[in-house]
Amino acid sequence: DGHMFNNISLVGRGGTNPGQLRVHSRGLLWKKQGGGKAVEVDKSDIVRITWMKVPRSNQLGVQIKDGLKYKFTGFRDQDVSSLTNFFQNSCGIAPEEKQLSVSGKNWGELDINGNMLSFLVGSKQAFEVSLADVSQTQLQGKNDVILEFHVDDTTGANEKDSLMEMSFHIPSSNTQFVGDENHP
Amino acid sequence: GDGRASSRTSNDLIAYKNVNDIPPPREIMIQVDQRNEAILIPIYGSMVPFHVATIKTVSSQADTSRNCYIRIIFNVPGTPFSSHETNSLKNQTDIFLKEVSFRSKDPRHISEVVQQIKTLRKNVVSRESERAERAS
Repeated sequence: DGHMFNNISLVGRGGTNPGQLRVHSRGLLWKKQGGGKAVEVDKSDIVRITWMKVPRSNQLGVQIKDGLKYKFTGFRDQDVSSLTNFFQNSCGIAPEEKQLSVSGKNWGELDINGNMLSFLVGSKQAFEVSLADVSQTQLQGKNDVILEFHVDDTTGANEKDSLMEMSFHIPSSNTQFVGDENHP
Repeated sequence: GDGRASSRTSNDLIAYKNVNDIPPPREIMIQVDQRNEAILIPIYGSMVPFHVATIKTVSSQADTSRNCYIRIIFNVPGTPFSSHETNSLKNQTDIFLKEVSFRSKDPRHISEVVQQIKTLRKNVVSRESERAERAS
């Protein structure tokens, strides 16, 4: 039962890893090409499934109960429709559609969902980072928030340039995060 | 220029219209797309575009263990020298990406990128200020 896809990359901090994804009625299993890393998700742990059109491909997002999110790319348009049907019929989960912002603007909104912090431009997602990878946050002045990301020897195994730090300017007129000092 | 001129130029400064216009990455690294006046930044395995006009400064730094660092600072409202762009607030509550820092394995690539961004930014800024002047 289910579907098997070759050439599906796991996308995350540290770049992309090519591999193979099997989606079945009990969940999904991704294995890295050549062995090593694997990701197994049980259907009962899935809280949200998303599709997003990315350059020359489609990206599947699978968010699980503890807030983590796995992202896979390499799906053709026809894979999206067959998998959407499969998730609905076999897993009882209706995938949501997200849109990618490519306008190149650096102003928008922040959204926190589980561990994921998304930067949205005109309600489309420009990028997303995992707060689970943030080692430290700092407030600079009244309006700037700095996020520092964990860095170790394995950081950047699949990429030449690795993100270390990012900061956001939150105007005083934005009250979304006032008094919210609990998030990591 | 007046308010109308600057808002018109800001609308023109769009990096890409469609998702598939983004060039395929040669590697997961910071890239400059001269034709679309965009910088592509790898964030969590995706190439995230920023129009060069959103960038305020870019600098690099090396440490003793052959690591190299690049810091890109974006325009945000309310800072001295920020362009009319950001000062003519789109939306009072907008949050701005202010800065990103990367560690790189390739110092030569970083110095190239810094140079390319500086040159492209200079060209675009001078073109836009000429355009704004003509329009006023």
